[in-house]
Amino acid sequence: MRPGRNFRPREDSPRLLEVDRADRRELWTEAVGDPPPVYGERWTEVAERRFRSFEPGRSKLAAAVVRGWTGDLPAPGERWLYLGAATGTTASHVADLVGPDGRVYAVERSLRPFARLLSLSERWPSLRPILADARDPLGYSSLVPPVDGVYADIAQADQLDIVLRNAELLLFGEGARVLIALKTASMGRQRSAAGHREAAERTLSDSVSLFASVPLEPFHKAHFMVGGRWGRSARLPVREGERPTRPRDRRLGRRAR
Amino acid sequence: MRPTLVVGNGPDLFVPGPESTRAAGPFPLDPDPSRAAARFESLGPSDLSSALITVLTSVPEGSRLLASPPRLARAIAEVTHRPVGSPNVEELRRARASIPRADPEAERRFFLALGHLRLERALRAPEEVLITLAREEERVERSVGREARAAESFIAVPDSPLDRHLVAWGRARGALGDLEEALRETLEAEARRLVPNLSAVVGPRTAARLVALAGGVGALARMPSARIQLLGSRRRPSAERGPRFGILYRADRLADVPIGRRGAYARSLAALAAIAVRADASTHRDISAGLVARRDRRIESLRRKRR
Repeated sequence: MRPGRNFRPREDSPRLLEVDRADRRELWTEAVGDPPPVYGERWTEVAERRFRSFEPGRSKLAAAVVRGWTGDLPAPGERWLYLGAATGTTASHVADLVGPDGRVYAVERSLRPFARLLSLSERWPSLRPILADARDPLGYSSLVPPVDGVYADIAQADQLDIVLRNAELLLFGEGARVLIALKTASMGRQRSAAGHREAAERTLSDSVSLFASVPLEPFHKAHFMVGGRWGRSARLPVREGERPTRPRDRRLGRRAR
Repeated sequence: MRPTLVVGNGPDLFVPGPESTRAAGPFPLDPDPSRAAARFESLGPSDLSSALITVLTSVPEGSRLLASPPRLARAIAEVTHRPVGSPNVEELRRARASIPRADPEAERRFFLALGHLRLERALRAPEEVLITLAREEERVERSVGREARAAESFIAVPDSPLDRHLVAWGRARGALGDLEEALRETLEAEARRLVPNLSAVVGPRTAARLVALAGGVGALARMPSARIQLLGSRRRPSAERGPRFGILYRADRLADVPIGRRGAYARSLAALAAIAVRADASTHRDISAGLVARRDRRIESLRRKRR
């Protein structure tokens, strides 16, 4: 079956295309790089434009879209900071979404996944890999220009704190976006998955006007996509007491590697 | 008066102006991307271009100098003999917003060069060498085993194309086996050097794999022994019938322990391994003789006891 006329670009992010099949909705992104596939995904060509299948089972961002994410997505020409890029499965798709004129600054600190991210970046023009720890945004602040959005997929107990510190330093302008693939299993057992989501939304709402968050079940267990537009605290300094802190009792949190 | 701020922007340094005006710069670190990356990583006084230094020395006395990242601030302080501070988040954000966008191709090549540089430097650390070797050796060992099992299912038929194929394959297998042996020797030597106590207790190869699974000597040293015992196990931990071993199943003297007592042995061995790796990580004292004696006593007592 050849995909073609029924490829519908999304209005908010035209390089993301939806195709309705009988039983499900497929997502495709227009590739900025050349084959071979990045992680074994399907490729297809329509009217001399090349598209890559964006699988919800492989990528939390795709899962969020399939689950009805109504918030903003990376759009052409934008600069995004991607925290926790790993081997670049989702990062390559985000790079597709921002297109050849956009930039994705992909931060990863593990060496072996980074090696694959680096070789991917050689042939993925809008991807800029950075070997660094996302906990220390000052360390790479001289590499990353002000960005339009921060996308984070970091399975750490203090993931929200990490994202906010990056956003305060590197997000620019009213209406800049924060998207977080929240892994609640990394955030300790004091709360349920839904409880973590609520707590995260409460914390974020101090500095962000929230999008409606979506659960990523059944594609990713106990994960949520949360996010919003950077708002209030872009001008007001964050007060010390309002900062989310790392869980003090390490026995309660899953061990952070 | 607004402070004079110098900021790095990948391969370039800038002196951002007040909000409406353009920044002064770029002052490239180096035209060549790999050399620019190396300079970016060191960012000492010798990495500042003369054009930038001229601009900096013309900054009037009494006005504040700020620079980011901190390495750059130190370098500028050394060159100008003046105190150089760090900007706060707001100052840095405003400054970086006034910097013009970098040339895309130059920026891209700089990021790739910097990525390679950082990756190579990190992978050169002895600990990372050990981890890479351990993973590689495990992979080659598995493929040697797979090929040996595959070879068993063929029966040689003299003077046939299959036979010639088998002879060629036999040679390739021999080469693979030699490679594995060479790898193992290097791995064991590295493990004995980096984690001598742990190598003595569980054997150098298992020691290397433990370090690889933990992600480093420091990470392994911070683990409780119950976690070390199960490192590398595939089954889900459970109270009723969880795994008793991970990679410790491959430890040196496990074969000397009666089968029914191996779970108990794994527990004691993990405890000894935890002590050993902590000595390797922090005190660097050789405590292997005592640990090995305790291990051997434990094996003896497990052999004497009936189930």
